[in-house]
Amino acid sequence: MRIVVDHNLCEGNGRCVEAAPGIFELRDDDRSYVLEERPPASLRGKVELAARLCPRQAIRVLDE
Amino acid sequence: MSALKLETIDIIDPDLYVSRGYPHQEWALLRREAPVYWYERPNVDPFWAVTGHAQIVEVSRQPALFKSLQRLFMTINEEGAPDPNEGILRQLLNMNPPEHGAYRGVVNRRFTPRGVQVLRQQIEAITTEVLDGLVGREECDFVLEVSAKLPLAVIAEMFGIPRADWDTMFRLSNMMIGPSDPEYGGSNTVKETLELARMEFFQYFNTLVEDRRKNPRDDLASALANGKVNGEPLPIFELMSYFALLIIAGNETTRNATTGGLFAFINHPDQWRRLKADPSLVPHAVEEIVRWTSPVIQFNREAVADTELNGQKIRAGDLLCLFYPSANRDETVFERPDEFDIGRNPNPHIAFGIGEHFCLGANLARLELQVMFRQLAERLEAIELNGPIQRMRSSFVGGIKHMPVRYRIKPRA
Ligand code: HEM
Ligand code: SF4
Repeated sequence: MRIVVDHNLCEGNGRCVEAAPGIFELRDDDRSYVLEERPPASLRGKVELAARLCPRQAIRVLDE
Repeated sequence: MSALKLETIDIIDPDLYVSRGYPHQEWALLRREAPVYWYERPNVDPFWAVTGHAQIVEVSRQPALFKSLQRLFMTINEEGAPDPNEGILRQLLNMNPPEHGAYRGVVNRRFTPRGVQVLRQQIEAITTEVLDGLVGREECDFVLEVSAKLPLAVIAEMFGIPRADWDTMFRLSNMMIGPSDPEYGGSNTVKETLELARMEFFQYFNTLVEDRRKNPRDDLASALANGKVNGEPLPIFELMSYFALLIIAGNETTRNATTGGLFAFINHPDQWRRLKADPSLVPHAVEEIVRWTSPVIQFNREAVADTELNGQKIRAGDLLCLFYPSANRDETVFERPDEFDIGRNPNPHIAFGIGEHFCLGANLARLELQVMFRQLAERLEAIELNGPIQRMRSSFVGGIKHMPVRYRIKPRA
């Protein structure tokens, strides 16, 4: 699994950080950064929750 | 309820929104039997009514397949209405990627959670002032005296519009969003009302832009006046439309969440007592108010190519209409969807939409509503209806125009 945040969409709403702390981080530019681009499969649930909750649908979870 | 039939239900006629409010039973039937339903009626251009939460999300997250267009919402074909395909403005809600993102980027930093935090003190102060206006009396029209004041004051402050002009903004905003309501449009046709309002708005904003180009300040008007899209200043029509959008979009919607929220509390006194007893519930309560009231009824999309949605064959050029209040009562997403529960958590409502066009003002609206309901819970000692509510004639934005209330309020602490 690989996580990508589309910075053209992300507007720092921070829902991803709430859903999956430690994987996403909100920085000073009001964008979310992926701390762990390839997290262990056990975290898949949290990552998918973050992707689902993201108001701008900026998070992609890729199977690669 | 059992009498309702798919073939005969009406979810578009604006007069029904006046007499009946939101058609929740009709939407429930649609979700159950056809969450993607070809809606064909006399006097309405046909479209796909999308009423399920999952289906609205699926459409919204694919702006390249389901594009936004000039025609923002569906209504009945009325005499004196403007050509729906023309549209009176050209703004974010009509745009598509990549243009849409470039335009949204001109001001979006001012609307992020962090961006709006700098406004908190101003919002607290305006709210206190608005509620102070109720002290010394026992009756008022809650819409005119409370709900309508805060959102307009906040966006006007952000723009740097002087107080003397707030009433003008209020009047024009009403005309733009409720042109088919006689209280706002008078004896003019919808088209005349819209054009009058647009002309007056544009004249006003034009003067504002000229000033901010000469004397830039740190306000929203300056950000727009001096903003760039792909390295160029915004063309005049798009610039004027942007001003109008930001004034209009936040006004009627937040107003109706406030009114509808208090109306819900009046009808659910147990929830009102719960909020007063535990103000830490305010953020959850606000999400529930927004879910419950869902002030925006619908937005359109157009299919760009042949595709499939929930098993239905959609053809290129078909119109789709997304009904947000229906998604927010979807029984496959929410437990007890028809219960007003201010502790609801999680609350994945999509009253602000989702994806490319997700409400730019969501964080602002949330902050305004949180401040308002915290202060109301603190100061209102009694509240009840003092006459029937009056709803706006619109199938686009659900509105309570008047809500007479009788109350007891504490003076400022
Ligand atoms: C409770 C209050 C509000 C509700 C329910 C609401 C709802 C919505 C909805 C449903 C959309 C379309 C989303 C989509 O197509 O996915 C939208 C877009 C928008 N809203 Fe709000 N809104 C509210 C308050 C505000 C406020 C306070 C502003 C302040 C300026 C605002 C500005 C906008 C703008 C500019 C857009 C267009 C965004 C775009 O197309 O990129 N809204 N809103
Ligand atoms: S939830 Fe989405 S928009 Fe918000 S910070 Fe995370 S990625 Fe960005």
